[in-house]
Amino acid sequence: MVRNRNNYNMQVRTIVVAFLLFLNLNLFAQAPGKPLSADAAKGESLFKLNCTSCHAMDAKLVGPALQGVHTRRSEEWLLKWIKNNEKLRASGDKDAIAVYNENGKAAMNVFENLSDDQIKTIITYFKEWTAPVKVKTTEPSGGTDAGFFSSNTLYILIFLIVVLVLVLYILRRTKKQLQSTISEMEGSNAEDHEHKELSEGQKKLAEFKKKSNPTIVKLLVGTVIALCLAVYGYNFGATEIAVQQGYAPEQPIKFSHKIHAGDYKIDCKYCHTTVEKSKQASVPSVNTCMNCHKGVQARDKYDGQISPEILKIYAAMDYDPEKPSGQQFGANPKPIKWIRVHNLPDHAYFNHSMHVKGVGLTCQTCHGPVQTMPVVQQFATLQMGWCINCHRERNIDVENNPYYEKLHEKIKADKNNKNSNYSKYYTKDGKINVTAAQNGALECSKCHY
Amino acid sequence: MANKQTYWKGEEELLRTKDFLASQKNEFNEALPLDEVLSENNLGLSANRRDFLKFFGFSIAAVSLAACNKTPIRNVVPYLVKPEEITPGVANYYNSTCGACSAACGVTVKTREGRPIKVDGNSNSPVSGGGLCSTGQASILSLYDTERLAGPQKIKDKTASDVEWSAIDGDITKQLETINAAGGRIAIISGTIHSPSTLGVIADFSAKYTNTKHITYDTVGYGGILSANLTSFGKQVIPSYNFDKANVVVSFGADFLGTWISPVEYTKAWASRRKVDGLNKESKILKTIQFESNLSLTGSNADYRFPMKSSMEAIYVTSLYNAIAQKAGVAQLPMVKSGELAGGAIKQSAEALWNEKGNSLVVSGSNDARIQSIVNGINLLLNNYGTTIDLDNHSNQYKGVDADFAQFATDLNNGAYKAVIFYNTNPVYNSPMSEMISAGIKKASLSVSFASTADETAIECQYIAPDSHYLESWDDAEPKAGVYQLTQPTISPVFKTRQAQESLMTWAGLAAKPLVDPFANKTILSQKAEASVYYLYIKTKWALMGINTDAAFNKALHDGVHQMPAKAATVPAFAANLSAIVTDLDKMKVDTNAIDLVLYQNVAIKDGSLSNNPWLQETPDPISKVTWDNYVSLPKALAEKSGIANGDLVNVIAGSKKISGLPVFIQPGQSNMTVGLALGYGRKGKIGEKGEFEAIGKNAFPFVTYNGSNFNYVTNGVKIEKAEGKYELAQTQTHFSIEGRDLVRETTFGEIKENPKAGNDKNAPHLYTLWETKDYKKEGAPNHHWAMSIDLNSCTGCSACVVSCNIENNVPVVGRAEVRRRREMHWLRIDRYFSFSNVNKINYEADLFLKKDYEGNKITKEKGLEAIDAIEKKKADKANYDHWENVQVVHQPMMCQHCGQAPCETVCPVLATTHSTEGLNQMTYNRCIGTKYCANNCPYKVRRFNWFRYNDNDQFDFHFNNDLGKMVINPDVTVRTRGVMEKCSMCVQSIQATKTKAKRERRKINDGEIKTACQRACPAGAIVFGDVNDENSEIHKLFKNERSYRVLEELNTQTAVKYLVKVRDTEKETKA
Repeated sequence: MVRNRNNYNMQVRTIVVAFLLFLNLNLFAQAPGKPLSADAAKGESLFKLNCTSCHAMDAKLVGPALQGVHTRRSEEWLLKWIKNNEKLRASGDKDAIAVYNENGKAAMNVFENLSDDQIKTIITYFKEWTAPVKVKTTEPSGGTDAGFFSSNTLYILIFLIVVLVLVLYILRRTKKQLQSTISEMEGSNAEDHEHKELSEGQKKLAEFKKKSNPTIVKLLVGTVIALCLAVYGYNFGATEIAVQQGYAPEQPIKFSHKIHAGDYKIDCKYCHTTVEKSKQASVPSVNTCMNCHKGVQARDKYDGQISPEILKIYAAMDYDPEKPSGQQFGANPKPIKWIRVHNLPDHAYFNHSMHVKGVGLTCQTCHGPVQTMPVVQQFATLQMGWCINCHRERNIDVENNPYYEKLHEKIKADKNNKNSNYSKYYTKDGKINVTAAQNGALECSKCHY
Repeated sequence: MANKQTYWKGEEELLRTKDFLASQKNEFNEALPLDEVLSENNLGLSANRRDFLKFFGFSIAAVSLAACNKTPIRNVVPYLVKPEEITPGVANYYNSTCGACSAACGVTVKTREGRPIKVDGNSNSPVSGGGLCSTGQASILSLYDTERLAGPQKIKDKTASDVEWSAIDGDITKQLETINAAGGRIAIISGTIHSPSTLGVIADFSAKYTNTKHITYDTVGYGGILSANLTSFGKQVIPSYNFDKANVVVSFGADFLGTWISPVEYTKAWASRRKVDGLNKESKILKTIQFESNLSLTGSNADYRFPMKSSMEAIYVTSLYNAIAQKAGVAQLPMVKSGELAGGAIKQSAEALWNEKGNSLVVSGSNDARIQSIVNGINLLLNNYGTTIDLDNHSNQYKGVDADFAQFATDLNNGAYKAVIFYNTNPVYNSPMSEMISAGIKKASLSVSFASTADETAIECQYIAPDSHYLESWDDAEPKAGVYQLTQPTISPVFKTRQAQESLMTWAGLAAKPLVDPFANKTILSQKAEASVYYLYIKTKWALMGINTDAAFNKALHDGVHQMPAKAATVPAFAANLSAIVTDLDKMKVDTNAIDLVLYQNVAIKDGSLSNNPWLQETPDPISKVTWDNYVSLPKALAEKSGIANGDLVNVIAGSKKISGLPVFIQPGQSNMTVGLALGYGRKGKIGEKGEFEAIGKNAFPFVTYNGSNFNYVTNGVKIEKAEGKYELAQTQTHFSIEGRDLVRETTFGEIKENPKAGNDKNAPHLYTLWETKDYKKEGAPNHHWAMSIDLNSCTGCSACVVSCNIENNVPVVGRAEVRRRREMHWLRIDRYFSFSNVNKINYEADLFLKKDYEGNKITKEKGLEAIDAIEKKKADKANYDHWENVQVVHQPMMCQHCGQAPCETVCPVLATTHSTEGLNQMTYNRCIGTKYCANNCPYKVRRFNWFRYNDNDQFDFHFNNDLGKMVINPDVTVRTRGVMEKCSMCVQSIQATKTKAKRERRKINDGEIKTACQRACPAGAIVFGDVNDENSEIHKLFKNERSYRVLEELNTQTAVKYLVKVRDTEKETKA
């Protein structure tokens, strides 16, 4: 019954995490000092969009820390530099060349796409930016509360209840036993007395017992029990064994799809880059994480320290956040061993690109609302029946995909021919409707070879 | 019906021996050892009920417990920094050059997640032309061989110990300097090198160590041709043989379709001239005439094959010269003896050649320079130089001069060399001077080998500096003059190995990287950190060739080939004195009554350098269908005379050399008074039985002789004596009987010109069916209908497709013992059918085969065995075995025929084998419960049962059971487990992948876009795959071809595989 437990765990975890997040959000809301002006707010969003992969306000990443940069440089210079630093350098601007050399000759991107006004809003943001107030976050009390709901406690509770029920039952039995002993001692006529008090139904039962063959009764009862067990066993086998629906293992890094895909709305394909090209969606390589996490360190949540989970990424890359050095990583990297959540057996072939690019399914169709999952879990059963059902229900795009051109022509040509094989592809209202199954998607060699 | 040929697969089938008949009655070769298995558990077949119940109960409980296993936790480990070019799950392809032999075919390497998993021919390469032989295909497994050395070794008393590169570099450099300073001689002995850069490295090495000499030694070389061309034309080269420009070719023992010089190139050219479709009455195809002792692959495909005693080749070749000289009106050679073969073969050949003057070709497999000189003379008389033979755009594939090597062996043994370096050569194993080399190595003060395993020569040396595998290396090649190819690494070195070129450069102090890019106007600073020094060296050399920009170099790398414009072929001046040569040849003593031993190379194992390759060992010899052993192939007449039967052991004695205990195989087609023996066996390897380091077969190289100028592979006057004991060869040929059915069809070129349906004009059988016609087969159906056409006329039986299929589809190797039990797993086999050349001579064997006894009564099932007894007695009567020498051969690739109405599908109780709407017969392993009903009901016998879990069972130590060997597994194909049936899927993984791609890109599939593994490998282009429902496809046309037929059409299986009738260019009447 793995599934139920996991489901329960999931629910409990979701509640707890939601609660924690609620607390955190509250804390976060308090963090910035002054509210930003409208211009600065615009600038902030532009800054986050374009700059944060290399810059932070208060720390040196690939590029220098930008706190107070408006005091160090003139607005005119900044405008030129941000727009096209290469041009500025090429023009022989001493400051520009100095900045370039100071930062390990890592060239900054050119932002010709930004208008002067937009850049000005960014500079306004620099001006209005204040360091977030560091809030001492004690361990939220919710954390201890969560302990109460942990699965261990639950088991202990259930165990206690079962023990109590047992004790109750034994006590009742003992009481009955004692009563009957008493009545036995009180009079031997008790038996006759009882006999007379038998109801009509009870009499019939006794008669039936006398008439019937005890072996047959036993066999009948046995068969019924065996059948019930068999049905249960079959169901168990079909729906439970090796079915890992709800499987949500603890990963080496507590990566949250909820934060990334849900809160920040990062497209799935930003990380799972191969999903449209390959049979595998593939777990992103660690340098993909580093694209953002060189800059995004979640210091505000960890008392000015880098988040321990993000530190794990750095450890994997052997990257020293104190000495950012362009694209170079350390000499002793340690690859991350993620735990695979969706396991298909070797004899089942599944191709992501066919389903995502070929058919146009969303990731959520099979993976569920991943953007709400702090810990990713297996949403579907991944059983063959589940695959097959979808193949039965979904239509193929006969009309628009030239791959099906020949079939489409046949169907069109035979529209009014009731005897044709192809007329079955029309719905009652005259629309073409070909399911994947009708085009051979239920055949063994689609997936097994 | 024009064709009255009687076909048979092996002697036992033809003679219908008792053992054979008995074995064909059973489903399995031997009774299943149920009793044995049960008795191991203290049970017997006679066990009582209680024991049975105990056993039963225990099994159920055990199975349930085993099923309670927790699902294992599986990890995903992504890249840290993903290489740009790699997409997990998508293959990358790189053009490179095959390193399995010095023919240097261009190849395309398929890699998945950075590991090579398949090698196919590169169609840009004029050498491979898109095909690749079995040896080249299988060479990929040597990359993942656990026997490879993991790093440099220092050897003491034949035991190797690991050392560091820096240590041996220091030692070797110091010693080389000392030796050179003291004036000591240094030898680099290698196989043929035609890489301009490697030759450059050796030249630079020689410039530093001035006493260095580079000697080329080819294991099985062509020194005879090189010497003959030197004396005849002043050019010590092998010419280009243009088989595609010839109308007739006469070959004396040259197996140019199997092993001779550049077989893939020649097969491509030969097959291109064997196509009969669209020809008119004046058209000609390449008539092939073969004189030989052993039945070779070329002989089996020849139109006329004349058995010859190889020791008398000189006489026949001279006779042919004289016959042609007579026609040309020039002086004949002064020959004392003259020779003619049965049926006036020489005269007929001379006639055929003279008629095609200028478009003919004579080749000889002899390594005797004198015979090759006369062959040159013949080709010159026929005006073949400049057309079919091209000395100007010559081949570089073999350059070893035998006399140089013999001189080296003597010098080494005399202690004349102070240092010796072995590169890509193993003379202790494979040279006739093995003992001299072995003793000589110890006399040198420095001996190094670049071998990647501790082979026979390397273990005698002081150091082994293991060379990287060609799939891990940078290199270039010039297999033919003006044809440049590149080799590029497709994986980082698996072990701590280093390319030989880099080692030589290091020892010569040349390993410092150049400071400037050899290419104009570009610096390669960024590449320098990772690029190997030899890579930069290659660029330097190519820059001199004119490839001096990155764009040009990258184009050559992308294409795999860079071709210079071909020179105009000229007619060279002839300088050899043939009269003197013939006088010299006349002095040769040939005892016509003595037995000839003719050494040859097997199509898969070749010279034995890849003998530790299980794929090659299990590839059946195309003619004998023997796996895992070499054997003495004996003519029927000799066998009968000396009372030797199949499976006996014999000793072979040639002069002072003797090999004992060789198994015998009676080979139809072996010419009388000759015996054949394959080279390349007898090496110790881990894949011997049960993982022991046990020799596979026996080493025949000691029988190679040296006549003072050339190595000789033919010995006259050997003795064959019967030895004690029996040995069962693991043969696949008669595992299934053909029951006299009409499986192969053939006709002659003369007939097909008259009637395009010749040979295929059988009345269509009346077909009954219980089933409805499937949708995909209806006229104009929109679905695909996958189908395959196999041209029996192009197929040479070379077995490249068999190995390709094994690699693509993860087919396990089962080993010698299991092959003997008929349990080979090959999805694709090549059936080889014999027939007697002259049907007028139908003899008692054929009568018997037609199921009649001597009284003309039909042999019934019951009476069969007695009738055979009667015939056995009559056997004594026959006196003549000529017909046994003269057999014709048809090769027929046989795999799942994907029947439209499949007999296997209707008998499967669990629907594990079903039919797709695209005409494929699908096999679903996860459903199969192993009843084997389907295999029993399959009329083509193409289904294979997994008796064991070959991939994880250490009883089958064939590289599939270790982590390194498993790297070669194709990740898109399931590795089958024990207890399931499997068979050809028509590479459904490629079909599905291409369909997915087309749907994704919203387009139709192009014809020819999907290629099956067998089709990709075939150098002859005999296999075509495609969608029959696509009216414009090649397969659609081929299915309508008059020559196409279905095997066992009368069963109405409606197969998706059709064959095209074989056409022999023989006279019309010979087939009457």
